[in-house]
Formats: sequence, structure tokens, C-alpha cells
Amino acid sequence: MKIKDMSIKDLAIYLSDYCNKNGIETVLSGGACVTIYTNNKYMSYDLDFVLLSYVVPKKIREAMRKVGFQEEGKYFTHEETPYFVEFLQPPLSVGEEPVKEVSEIKKGNKVLRLLSPTDCVKDRLAAYYHWNDKQSLEQAILVCEEKTVDLKEVGRWSKNEGMSKKFEAFKENLEKRKS
Amino acid sequence: MLEPLLESEIKEKILLYVYTHGESYPSEIAKAFKFYINAVQNQLLNLEKGGIFYSKLKGKVRLFGINPRYPFKKELEALLEKTLKFIPEKEKEKYYKPRLRPRRTGKPL
Repeated sequence: MKIKDMSIKDLAIYLSDYCNKNGIETVLSGGACVTIYTNNKYMSYDLDFVLLSYVVPKKIREAMRKVGFQEEGKYFTHEETPYFVEFLQPPLSVGEEPVKEVSEIKKGNKVLRLLSPTDCVKDRLAAYYHWNDKQSLEQAILVCEEKTVDLKEVGRWSKNEGMSKKFEAFKENLEKRKS
Repeated sequence: MLEPLLESEIKEKILLYVYTHGESYPSEIAKAFKFYINAVQNQLLNLEKGGIFYSKLKGKVRLFGINPRYPFKKELEALLEKTLKFIPEKEKEKYYKPRLRPRRTGKPL
């Protein structure tokens, strides 16, 4: 499959696998996980890959150049795709806590490592909690509607972030949508 | 104080300035310490790239602050707080105590 024909999920799988084979270990986070988990109910154009360990920027630049991506400021772009790729510095975390387990999506012999649905919800809620970003709240709700999410764990994490009140608001929103 | 750890005097002063002021922008920091603006800008962008700072546009100014989603935010702030305790009162007064009350347009600083 050519890059111009790839969906965001296809591109995430392709790049994750390619980077991994080139010694750049990553986990996908951010809005792209929401797009994948909700089957495009929310459309992100950003592929945010969190590096699992420090990688010299030159190594990333060279690897990306080999598959046609150019560096433009913080992002990598490709003339055949509208998606932006960013590599974020480690550690892989949601709020204050490290992420211990990640999910995998396999396609053929390629593997994409990404935040689990529960951590994806925490990641979106972190943006809602700290920036009051209502779009991120909506994304967290969408993931809960499409995937199995451990709300008890999200509640524990929220409390640890000092955001129990906002977690209650999130739960109310979620229940309203169900009824 | 933190230069051996950060390997940069500018970076230490930027961190302390942004921590004590909440948010700031390159020319304000450069002016306060008489640093070259490019040096300040580079450090700010590096701190943003590392996830330690966030930035946002306010009008034409890009403001920087400590990223609330940085996993070591609490620990970093505790370190900066302790560093402030070792800074002479005069220096603290000059650089790290933001003026909270408004100042009329045109009045000299």
C-alpha cells in the first residue's frame, strides 16, 4: 500500500513498525488513538509517537527522510498524506503516572503499539482537566462508548491527579449520553 | 545553583523566572536578565520540545509556562522552590517576585 492510500490507522501501523525496525521504539498516544478506537468517529490528523527512550534527533530525521517525510518545525510531513507526525520525548506517561502496559494492533506482520483504551481516556481527560478542553472530554466519552474502559481505574487516577470533581463531571456526561 | 545539573545558567534562570511568574515570553526574560533573545528563545523551545514547558499564543506573543502534564512537574517545582531559598533576597526581589498590581501605560518600569 502506498502512503497516499493509507488511513491514519494504516499509517500509524506502518510508521510504528518501520521505526521499531530502525531502533526507534515508540507508543502511539493522543488523538490518533481516539480515531482508531472510535473507527473514525473523531478524526485526528496528528500522529503523536512517544519515544520509549531517548533517540538522537538526527537518527529520527534520517529514518523519516528515507520514507519521504520532511521535518517542518516540530512535525514531519509527507506530500502524499495530510497527517502530521510528531515524536514526543519520553517518559510515556498519563498525567503524573508512567504507563505500564500498552495495547497492540497487528496487521499482517506489522505491529502498532498504542495506549490502551483506559489510558487513552486518561490521556484525553488530562487535557480536559488541565486545559479545560471540552473537545478532549468529548473524545474521552467517545472512547468509553466504543471500547471497554476501566472507569474505576480512571477514577483512581483522577483522584491522584487531584481532579475528583472533574472526574464526576465526566461520569455525569457519560451517563447522560447512555440514557 | 542548578548549573552543574542543567549545564546552563540561562536555563536555570528561565526555569526560575517562568516558575515564579506563571507564564512569560522570550523578550521579557531576555530583558530581565540582559540575555540575548535568541539564546532565550532556543532554551524555551528546547524546554517545550522536551515536554517541560507548554506554549500558547496570546495576541502576537508566545507565552511559555510549566506544562501541567509534565510527569515530573511536582518534583521540578519542589526543586525550583528549594533553589529559590538559596538565592539572595536582593536577587529574588529583582527577578523572581512578579509585580501583581497594574501599571499605567507609559509609566517607566
